[in-house]
Amino acid sequence: MKNKTLIYCLIFLFILGFCSCKEDGEYHSIKDKIENEGKPYHGKLTSDQLLMDSELIEITAGEHTFWIPERKGQIKSFACTECHNRPVAQMKGLEGQKAHWDVKLNHANSEMMDCTTCHNGEDMNNLRSLTNQNIDLNLSYKLCAQCHFSQFEDWKGGAHGKKVAGWAPPRASMTCVNCHNPHSPGFEKRWPVQFNTQKAIERKEGLDH
Amino acid sequence: MGRFKVLKSLVIDSLDTITKGSKKYHIWMGFLTLVMLIGMYCYSIQLDEGLSVTGMSDRVSWGLYISNFTFLVGVAAAAVMLVMPTYVLKDIDFKQAVLIGEGLAVAALIMCLAFVVADMGGPSVLWHMIPGIGVFNFPNSMLTWDVIVLNGYLFINISIPFYILFRHYQGKEAQKKVYVPGAVLSVFWAVGIHLVTAFLYQGLQARPFWNNALLGPRFLASAFAAGPALIILVLAVIRSFTAFRIEDKTIKKIAMIVTVAAQINLIMLASELFKEFYAPTHHSESAYYLFFGLHGKNALLPWIWTAIPLNILATVILTFGKFRNNLKVLYFCCFILFAAIWIEKGFGLIVPGFIPGPYGKIVEYLPTKIEIGVTIGIWALGAFVFTILAKTAIGIELGELRYKNKNSSDS
Amino acid sequence: MSDNKKWYSLDLGQNKQKEATASCGCGKTEGSCNSQKTELSADEFYEAAINASIGEERHRDGFEQVFDVKMDRRTAFRKLTASLLIGAGAVSTSCSAVIDNKTKEKAQIDWEEQFKGNYKLMTDEEKQGTINRLMRSYELRTGKNISMTAENAEEDVLFGYAFNISKCQGYMNCVSACVEENNQDRNSQMQYIRIHEMKDGQGFKFDNADDNYYHEVPAEGHFYMGTQCFHCDNPPCVEVCPVQATWKEEDGLVVIDYDWCVGCRYCMAACPYDGRRFNWSKPEVPENEINKNQHYLGNRMRKKGVMEKCTFCVQRSRKGKNPACVEACPTGARIFGNLLDPNSTIRWVLANKKVFRLKEDLGTEPKFWYFMD
Ligand code: SF4
Ligand code: SF4
Repeated sequence: MKNKTLIYCLIFLFILGFCSCKEDGEYHSIKDKIENEGKPYHGKLTSDQLLMDSELIEITAGEHTFWIPERKGQIKSFACTECHNRPVAQMKGLEGQKAHWDVKLNHANSEMMDCTTCHNGEDMNNLRSLTNQNIDLNLSYKLCAQCHFSQFEDWKGGAHGKKVAGWAPPRASMTCVNCHNPHSPGFEKRWPVQFNTQKAIERKEGLDH
Repeated sequence: MGRFKVLKSLVIDSLDTITKGSKKYHIWMGFLTLVMLIGMYCYSIQLDEGLSVTGMSDRVSWGLYISNFTFLVGVAAAAVMLVMPTYVLKDIDFKQAVLIGEGLAVAALIMCLAFVVADMGGPSVLWHMIPGIGVFNFPNSMLTWDVIVLNGYLFINISIPFYILFRHYQGKEAQKKVYVPGAVLSVFWAVGIHLVTAFLYQGLQARPFWNNALLGPRFLASAFAAGPALIILVLAVIRSFTAFRIEDKTIKKIAMIVTVAAQINLIMLASELFKEFYAPTHHSESAYYLFFGLHGKNALLPWIWTAIPLNILATVILTFGKFRNNLKVLYFCCFILFAAIWIEKGFGLIVPGFIPGPYGKIVEYLPTKIEIGVTIGIWALGAFVFTILAKTAIGIELGELRYKNKNSSDS
Repeated sequence: MSDNKKWYSLDLGQNKQKEATASCGCGKTEGSCNSQKTELSADEFYEAAINASIGEERHRDGFEQVFDVKMDRRTAFRKLTASLLIGAGAVSTSCSAVIDNKTKEKAQIDWEEQFKGNYKLMTDEEKQGTINRLMRSYELRTGKNISMTAENAEEDVLFGYAFNISKCQGYMNCVSACVEENNQDRNSQMQYIRIHEMKDGQGFKFDNADDNYYHEVPAEGHFYMGTQCFHCDNPPCVEVCPVQATWKEEDGLVVIDYDWCVGCRYCMAACPYDGRRFNWSKPEVPENEINKNQHYLGNRMRKKGVMEKCTFCVQRSRKGKNPACVEACPTGARIFGNLLDPNSTIRWVLANKKVFRLKEDLGTEPKFWYFMD
């Protein structure tokens, strides 16, 4: 009697145990799953709606084609030639209002860079590459990419910078000058936007931490 | 039909028994009721304000309630595991052990369930857990296993003593054929509930302090020590307050079990300490926190350093037969052993599992008054239930309660 | 209603109404909405039942976050004892006979919400039904409207996240954007995101890191690393939930049905990444700060005693937007996208940067990668 009960108990436990075995997923890891199931997304979700209000231009950089915000329309005093109707060299001595007095160059150091490293004194409507070619203000990333090539690589791929709207295609990425002030590209030190007092109390930390 | 009549008269009789008794008995019950009411008041505050009235936080998200739950599962399990040796040894009145042990198990289980409910954030939606009506995440969640085994165990432990008492009530002998398999099943089930409860913690890879293979066996060992220790104390009380005769031999046999279990428990403790401190890894931090404190945070030190010496002291004293056979010493040892294991398995196990948190952050935990109030209330509930059960059972066993034979019970 | 219901629902003669919830808004015209069954007694019973359940826990909390229905302890205690005495019958006599339509509608909504099924198992109509009820209930209570949606996971989408450790400067804009977006409790200052300030040259030593700093950032000699729920592909938190109140959606989001959660906090113990937050008390958000664009699984109002966590802003991401933290980050350290789309930026990051995840040895397969420039 006792033995039988025992055996039944054991069998019951075994069955329970087997039932509870997890079925293994098809893929060993998430990486495999991504690679095997992945395909270009053409689903319902798009960023079209979200991007409707932004002026965008399509660019192709390397093997990536995507949209970036148009720039010229955003610059208040564009076109530059409305004032700079002569090459800068000729305008220097002239009396007149100083327009860019507030621009302080805080980008690399003065041995390496001055205004004309990027601006074309002869043709103020355009930027100037290191080899003296014109670069359209809308495509200023090309200028930045001359030195910051690793950031450029990351940006093209999407590892550097932000999107204009959502994650869904089409891809629209901010361009360099949307986040960095080209004259002072670094981010400033500042205070964090908030402090969690509850957490400090909970952990009995000093609030001055 | 006849059965129902008997049942009805049993209920009436037992109601009669439990409402009558000596002055001491009334004071005891009155006291328990008072404590339960206080506990209920505390719980109502908790319901009203939420669990924020407890000492728990996102970092230490289980506290006193779950500690007690864990401990009491052990008590419930051990109470019945006693049945096994007594059965094998054959020289003790089997039914006696079954009755008291299972009564204790029922009380402990009721406390367990009460603690779980007290710990829930949304007691009003607990029906989500009922299989069929709600969604029962079986077999993935260990908690569902626990629900099943605990309720099953409760069922077994109510039905077996009930059968025996029901027969005795009618003046008939309980049939071994019926209750022995049940008792044996309940013994295995007891191991089951305890292992499952251990797995509840053991299965969490997020908490290295729990995620070790020794947790289950150590649960069993400590339960085997604490549960019977409690039984000895209970038997001692029953012996001195009722006419129920319990032989010294019974108590000594149980003391033997307590001793062996306590010894095994100590060995496992040593093994655990060795693992944590001989070659400490990142995962030993919880143990460090428990035993020595971490980064100046040391709320658990007084607890654990009370528990460990008590534990060792009790085990050492019990090991010597001379001391063990002295009942006064035995009771004392059982008491400190019980207290030590309560600390070790409650506070010493649950809380440090959460400290330090997943990112090394430490938030200490100490229960609040409300939490303590609820806890004590639930313990009172357990004592209350046990007293009722024991009183009825003893009444029947002593022959004071008999069907159609109502010459009243106690004086 | 349906024959193929996956859960048990109490039918108090309100069935017909339920079907019509969306169209008639219920209770506006007493007679037309209620079924033919003995109306009065049904109403009575159901008031009583509500009373009984209120005693156990005021189940209205969920949608009443901003209201203060503080009960004093005495009332709480009374209700508790009432519920202990058990039952609808006992209290029914105390119900007032005159109830206006709004109260009745409110009560009806509360009742149906209390006894609705698990969102995971609902059909689309049922999902719509519950969000309609929740919106209506909010309107009844505050007189204001919220918009709640119940978008399901899109096909061919699997959300993933990448975090650039070298870019993060510790400004914590993400943290406050998240709090505002997701209506987290302001009293306990609940936050899903933690930014850990780590010392250079010590590696990822989380225990020496400070995740609650307040000084000018970036601090000299430190770097910053954010954590939140990683939406594991093999989430231990989901395994352990006894009632399947939390699960992984098809698009990889690990979500919680706040109304199904029983608050056992087992998932919290199981999460190795500190991803979960519990409502220890009733969450409160000032009315004017509430984000009214909500998703059932996302930022809708929670009640006390339930679990919540980051959902990658399901209310945004399922509309094609980026989560609030991604949008708020001034440094572009946060990258979000569709892992299944080989042309997505997140896939480029995974393929071209040296990515790693936290505690990979646990086998949880987080969908949250870290990388450096
Ligand atoms: S990070 Fe934690 S909460 Fe998030 S899915 Fe993983 S285990 Fe669950
Ligand atoms: S707290 Fe809620 S979500 Fe978490 S395991 Fe418990 S019921 Fe599930």
